[in-house]
Amino acid sequence: MRAENSRTVPSPGFGLGLRPDHYPDFLAGPQPVEWLEIISENYMVPGGRPLAMLDRIRADYPMVMHGVSLSIGSDEPLDRAYLADLTALAERVEPLWISDHLCWTGIDAHNSHDLLPLPYDAPALQCVVDNIGRVQDSLGRRILIENPSSYVTFRSSDRSEWDFLADMAERADCLLLLDVNNIYVSARNHGFDPLDYLAGLPAHRIQQIHLAGHSDMGDYVIDTHDAEVCDAVWELYARAIAMFGPVATMIERDDAIPPLADLIVELDRARTVAARAMQHVDA
Amino acid sequence: MPEPLREVQRRFLAGIAEDDAGAEALIVDDARVGAAKRLAIYRNNYRASLTGVLADHHERLHAWLGDEQFDNVACAYVAAHPSTTRNLRHYGDGFAAFLAENFPDDGEQAELARLDWALRAAFDAPDVPALDAVRVTGLGETWLDQPLTLHPSASLLSARFNVAALWRALDDGEEPPEPVELTEPVALLVWRNGLQPHFRSLSEIEAGALAQLEAGATFTGLSAHVIEAVGETAAMEELAGWLGQWLADGVLVLGLD
Repeated sequence: MRAENSRTVPSPGFGLGLRPDHYPDFLAGPQPVEWLEIISENYMVPGGRPLAMLDRIRADYPMVMHGVSLSIGSDEPLDRAYLADLTALAERVEPLWISDHLCWTGIDAHNSHDLLPLPYDAPALQCVVDNIGRVQDSLGRRILIENPSSYVTFRSSDRSEWDFLADMAERADCLLLLDVNNIYVSARNHGFDPLDYLAGLPAHRIQQIHLAGHSDMGDYVIDTHDAEVCDAVWELYARAIAMFGPVATMIERDDAIPPLADLIVELDRARTVAARAMQHVDA
Repeated sequence: MPEPLREVQRRFLAGIAEDDAGAEALIVDDARVGAAKRLAIYRNNYRASLTGVLADHHERLHAWLGDEQFDNVACAYVAAHPSTTRNLRHYGDGFAAFLAENFPDDGEQAELARLDWALRAAFDAPDVPALDAVRVTGLGETWLDQPLTLHPSASLLSARFNVAALWRALDDGEEPPEPVELTEPVALLVWRNGLQPHFRSLSEIEAGALAQLEAGATFTGLSAHVIEAVGETAAMEELAGWLGQWLADGVLVLGLD
């Protein structure tokens, strides 16, 4: 069901985020995982164990690179030294693709190390589109931009996040990494319908899906990535697959890392949910 | 004319990093959660990620101080040191010096931080081939007159407190000894062998020898110094012992490498 105008490469299947806790499992023998995602910054170091493990595990698995520091939404020049390090890592890893977030992380050389929200307005869109263009020119490839989880709405915002993403993707000619948990988190925090969000996205540019857990604080939800994927997110994932087809999907766990076997069980659930969603489409 | 994005970002960052209340005016208020509480989520994330990485990179200091006291000193560092690094890996670079300056009565804290940080630096230091016994044999006698230096993963620290014993007890999860100020400072060598960081205490004379090599001395030059200090017989014994250990541990590189 890949669209005629698809900008994506065919899905390599189901993957996991590579975390140091699981290095021994991946070194011990083959795991039922088709690909792995690395956090780029964790390997943008001079040497030692991180790069040794990366090289050994990369020999057995295709990888994608996921960054947290590109800061395409900062209204200032891109950090060229960071981009050079990212390029060097990409030459080492030869990833299937490279992603980062729709966010900014700092300004005036003060880095928050957090994925900060943008106003959804014309100046922010222009800033992001220009920066994605510069990054893509520098890397010589399209990048994926992930929808963030957010807790605030700027007064200057005059459009929805999905409209912003759709315009950004077309104008910058980039791809999208859809974090289904983030859609759920932001929908709860801002009171929009997550199905409106999915319906507003350009299917032909969605290359990857993240699934993760969060912390429900009652009035709001925090995107903590420290728990299992919840039922509401599984339901939303099924809707996404029914709409967008078999998109490369992974479980993203960043804290309270469980044994690899537990994540593989969770990933198997993703396989089942996706297969069932595709059956509905085919029927 | 709307406020430029850059100004919005300056105000928002000041709102989360410096608790500047002006940032609230940038965002939509609502009855359910409210602008102040929404902004507070980012404030908490900001502090938690920075104090969290300090804790990750200073595990033994964290164990020594406990959660609450560690959080106090880490928050003080975060307030005084906005991050200017792109990679969070480097954020703790000034932490030991900050502790030394602000908590001079608890000197063991800064020294534990310095040791944790040196071990962390050794962990992902550059992969340069170290001088080992095989290489030395292959070089014949020519290496003796080539400048040496320490491997990029190796560093020398000077400790005024019994931090070596404190660190090892904390690392083993045992009850640490009382912090004691030593009569004479002791040198510690930190290095990485294979993928594993290590450290050990040095005798004064071995510390002096490694400091000379760090400064680019040749083995011949070092030997002359040691002979002058302790006499030929003792020097030969010391030098042979040290060299065997340094080559086995991967502490040295040829300066011209």
